[in-house]
Amino acid sequence: MKAQPREQPAFAAELNELLERRAERIRHKPPEAEEDFLWVAEFPVGEESYALPLDALRAAVPLKMVTPVPLSPPQVIGILRFQGQIITALSLASLLGGRGWREDPAVLLVVDPGFGRLVALDCERIPKPVGLPHARVEEARSRSAGAITEITLPGMKQVSLIELPRLMDRRSSQEKR
Amino acid sequence: MLDPMLEQLLAGFVDESQEIYDRVTRSLIELEKEPAQGKRFDELARGLHTLKGSAATLGLDELAEFAHRMEDVILPLRGSLQPLPAELADAVLRSLDVWMARLRATAAKAELPELQSSLELLSKAKNGRGWAPTAPPSRPEEPADSAPPLPAEEAISGESWRVSTRQVIGLLHEVERLRELRLRVDERKRELERTLAELARLGGALATAEVRALLSNLGRALGGDGEEAADIVASMEDGLKAISTMPVRTVIEPLRRAVRDLCKSSGKLARLAVVGAEVSLDRRVLEQLRGPMVQLVRNAVDHGLEMPEVREARGKHREGALTIRVEQQGNMLFIEIADDGAGLDLARIKDAALSHGFVPPEELALMGPAQLQQIIFRPGFTTRTDVTEISGRGVGLDVVRNQIQALQGHVEVQSTPGQGTRFVLTLPAELGSSPVLVVRCGEHQFGLPMVAVESSRPARSAELHLGRARAQLEHREQLIALQDLGALTGLRQPEAPQEGQPLLIVASQGRRVALSVDEVIGDKELVVRPLPVEVRDLPAYQGAATLARGELILILRADWLVNLERKSESGLAGTRRALVVDDSLTARALHRTALEAGGYVVHTASNARQALEQLRHAAYDVMVCDIGMEEMDGFQLTAAVRQQAQADSMPILLVSARDSDSDRQRGQAVGADGFLTKKDCVSGRLLSEVSAVMARRKGAT
Repeated sequence: MKAQPREQPAFAAELNELLERRAERIRHKPPEAEEDFLWVAEFPVGEESYALPLDALRAAVPLKMVTPVPLSPPQVIGILRFQGQIITALSLASLLGGRGWREDPAVLLVVDPGFGRLVALDCERIPKPVGLPHARVEEARSRSAGAITEITLPGMKQVSLIELPRLMDRRSSQEKR
Repeated sequence: MLDPMLEQLLAGFVDESQEIYDRVTRSLIELEKEPAQGKRFDELARGLHTLKGSAATLGLDELAEFAHRMEDVILPLRGSLQPLPAELADAVLRSLDVWMARLRATAAKAELPELQSSLELLSKAKNGRGWAPTAPPSRPEEPADSAPPLPAEEAISGESWRVSTRQVIGLLHEVERLRELRLRVDERKRELERTLAELARLGGALATAEVRALLSNLGRALGGDGEEAADIVASMEDGLKAISTMPVRTVIEPLRRAVRDLCKSSGKLARLAVVGAEVSLDRRVLEQLRGPMVQLVRNAVDHGLEMPEVREARGKHREGALTIRVEQQGNMLFIEIADDGAGLDLARIKDAALSHGFVPPEELALMGPAQLQQIIFRPGFTTRTDVTEISGRGVGLDVVRNQIQALQGHVEVQSTPGQGTRFVLTLPAELGSSPVLVVRCGEHQFGLPMVAVESSRPARSAELHLGRARAQLEHREQLIALQDLGALTGLRQPEAPQEGQPLLIVASQGRRVALSVDEVIGDKELVVRPLPVEVRDLPAYQGAATLARGELILILRADWLVNLERKSESGLAGTRRALVVDDSLTARALHRTALEAGGYVVHTASNARQALEQLRHAAYDVMVCDIGMEEMDGFQLTAAVRQQAQADSMPILLVSARDSDSDRQRGQAVGADGFLTKKDCVSGRLLSEVSAVMARRKGAT
């Protein structure tokens, strides 16, 4: 049987046009626009809004198949397998010094705190990606040296940005004590 | 700038040279004690010659010339009836160090160490300070310039490949995963067989016959696939083990040089004997062992062995005996490093601990010899008042212990005054799987290394000796300690075993304990992997393994189980106990955080049934209970507790994700003492509410 050239679908031209329009939009996006925002994963802890830098987030997985580790420090929820590795699930509210919560956490955020190993943090809901204005983040960071940077957004909305390396540092120093 | 081809060959040459370096070093040390002739001398000469030839092949002329100068010093001694003079051996050993360092620096494109001082040292040695050959060389040596250079064979022959460690380790991890997968296939097959049996029981004959036949065929096919996968995994593991293991000798041999050099500098005499150097180990384990072993051997010479005249005066041989014994039992590796020196000086340890404030005087006064010996592992501890090149800085044994713990192992020390000291390192030896006995305790499953489980038996009340302070079991006409695994792991208060409850006899390090568990699930071949950093320091666990459905199981350490010296929480008089009941893992963790911070001992239950079970066996000062649980909610649990005679007056605080007046009223109606929403469960608030409900209940009674 002779091979026939595949026919172009009828909507191909339309699709191409749409893609071209999109590409055009992206091309015309001011180059500094991306850099103006720090992209974060925002989620609630009790009544408050917390955020993690999106580039540290590796996955959001359901909070199940976690094996509790008796005798472990209280902030340790347990251990679980993630992509063939064994990682620790930690209670974010506990790491933050004991916060209340509205819903029992059902999600684990697998994050890379930058130490070459992954950890999972619990959260009440699947986070949503949000852009925080870089200028405000930097300004807030210049005033804070802690594990949490409080950022006030337009409309007086407050987001607590979690500085993962500092949070983990604090945890290890607490453990040593 | 190095030629890329040469660069590639250099990496292989460094490894090859390291092996030759080790052999030459060993020969030099041996020839200091025996006549410079025979096989040992031939090995030395051949080694130096190969270094020279290979360096010349790769165009490393300076290194070739340097090796030639070492040959010049050594070869005239061939056939001597005398051992090699110490200063000559010293000169060649030091030159070898520089030779190796220069080669490594060349490969790493780093700054090259200078050769001049080594060349001068060799020159002095050659010109015979106090040395003269007692016999002429037995055969003429080839002149250096006509010597056919020996190629760096493996690196250039194409018979071997150079693969980075990272790649091999990556492959090892994948094989470990494959083995886990294979184990899961086995488990799936068993599940299928159980399903088939159940189907046969339920479905009668004809209606399900066709489905059962299909499933049965599927089970057989799955079994066949599982077996084939097992063969592949075993073959891959064997192949990888051959690549990734090395004999312990590679770590031990350089220690001979260390012992020799330390003896030279300290004026002591020592002979190192090695047993079990042929045991092959994972390179990753060996790499980690190198530092601790060097430290322990250095300590043995510096701290352990006495000066020759002191030894003589004590009736010992002038030369101290150092022994390294390596033994592998199942998946456990035991390395013993012993000396026949003075033993640990407990009085000096005590003085140093006191003067440096390591232990308060009142605590020190209560310490027995075993506890005093443990002080030497504390960071910064030293009995030395002066700092020498070898020791006195107090960094050593704590590092040894940390490194061995990082390998999931532990260090023990045993010492007898005047007779010597023995350090025993115990650690998991191998990759791959090992047999594990899976047991259940409450809702938790644990694994126990089968090698440590001597036997299992049902509890018989006639054989139990239950006292207020301890429980014991009659076992083979002896009384052995009886421990409740649930209490040991902090899951519940100690419970005396029920009639028929499974007891495991666990043995490790010469100690034996009877362990009561709720159920013995069975033995499995599991791949035990290290725990993540956040929980790696917990002494109770060797690691974790993956079960059939992908969930993890914690593997207990046998030595931890038999260690009866740890403090049991049940022994803490006056401690308040709280039971947290919540089906959310994180809620339990959060309540525990808050309550432990307030000084409570916290036990948890993930459902009402389990909570009632725990309340039947133990008393609690307060119960914090979630309302929204499946099967039996917090209201029903509270009502059930109020019906139990032993817990009817226990304060109960209900917590809920919902803030609802009707829930509060309903809670009060069933007998709860307080109500708190989870969003209000910040640490301080939970503690104050717990205190409030306890006070209310106390007031009421």
